[in-house]
Amino acid sequence: MKDPLNKTKVVLRHLPPSISEAALRDQIDGRFSGRYKWFSFRPGKNSQKNLRYSRAYIDFQSTEDVIEFAEFFDGHIFVNEKGAQLKALVEYAPSQRVPKVWSKKDGR
Amino acid sequence: PERSARVSKVRPPLHQYIRKLLFSDLDKSSVEHVLRQLRKLPWSECEAYILKCFLKVHKGKYSQVNLIAILTAGLSRYHHEFAVAVVDEILEEIRLGLELNDYNMQQRRIAHMRFLGELYNYEHIDSSVIFETLYLIIVFGHGTPEQDVLDPPEDCFRIRMIITLLQTCGQYFDRGSSKRKLDRFLIYFQRYVLSKGPLPLDIEFDIQDMFAELRPNMARYSSSEEVNAALVELEEHERTASSERQS
Repeated sequence: MKDPLNKTKVVLRHLPPSISEAALRDQIDGRFSGRYKWFSFRPGKNSQKNLRYSRAYIDFQSTEDVIEFAEFFDGHIFVNEKGAQLKALVEYAPSQRVPKVWSKKDGR
Repeated sequence: PERSARVSKVRPPLHQYIRKLLFSDLDKSSVEHVLRQLRKLPWSECEAYILKCFLKVHKGKYSQVNLIAILTAGLSRYHHEFAVAVVDEILEEIRLGLELNDYNMQQRRIAHMRFLGELYNYEHIDSSVIFETLYLIIVFGHGTPEQDVLDPPEDCFRIRMIITLLQTCGQYFDRGSSKRKLDRFLIYFQRYVLSKGPLPLDIEFDIQDMFAELRPNMARYSSSEEVNAALVELEEHERTASSERQS
């Protein structure tokens, strides 16, 4: 098992369903610009029947960055356009895999 | 009353084609063909939709969940980002299922466990992900005020989830560190099972079958006191082992 001290990939959960990737990136980059290697935004769904929160997966450069990020964003309140408040969660991503930087062109 | 006819959903042709490949063409003999066809798709346009369809494993036949795992592993060579996303999404689905504990999602949740196990069988995830998931299932929400909603005492669904996952991939935890990890987990699992009190017979039989298959010689504890004593001993043993390593 990967030592928790070496984990660098986190998931930011319980984000407002309607938050845009750009708006989220703005908030994160204010403090953490250049400190992560990979970022993947998973938009939520704002429907009555099937509400899904948005999420983001982030792979940081170092474990210190992870800790600082969690201190800042775990429990951070996001406010949506209607004024509803949502408390975000920061956790280690259960799978620590991130995409390899090289991407082989599929010759098909 | 006047009512317009139900408008059926019209999907773009590419989406229709992806659905045809995954939900009607896919079987044991066509999996190579389907993989090739998926690779030929304009990927940037289709990736999000293919991901969505892969996560609908519960819509297909239960016996074919492994085929979606084969496709995931096959695509990871060319679309590593996609294959990483499949794993992140399935783990999120499992977590969300625990958070909602919605009766209507049970069939889907069982299919997700099977899918996770098959991803291990096709070497797309490590055993650490399987074990983290197993432990998450037996502890999630415990010790919080929501425990009675998330995992009420009479609710045995989490036991079914564990059995499904271990029936899918547990046979490969038969040597080395993963064997030890399963031995250890099964003691914690027994404590969880005993905390439920008397079980419905069908669940009890499924547990017996699982032990017979994976660990026929393992001790089954009959009371919480017994299993707790075994865990105290185990944790003591682990502490001495880790302090010896450090010194």
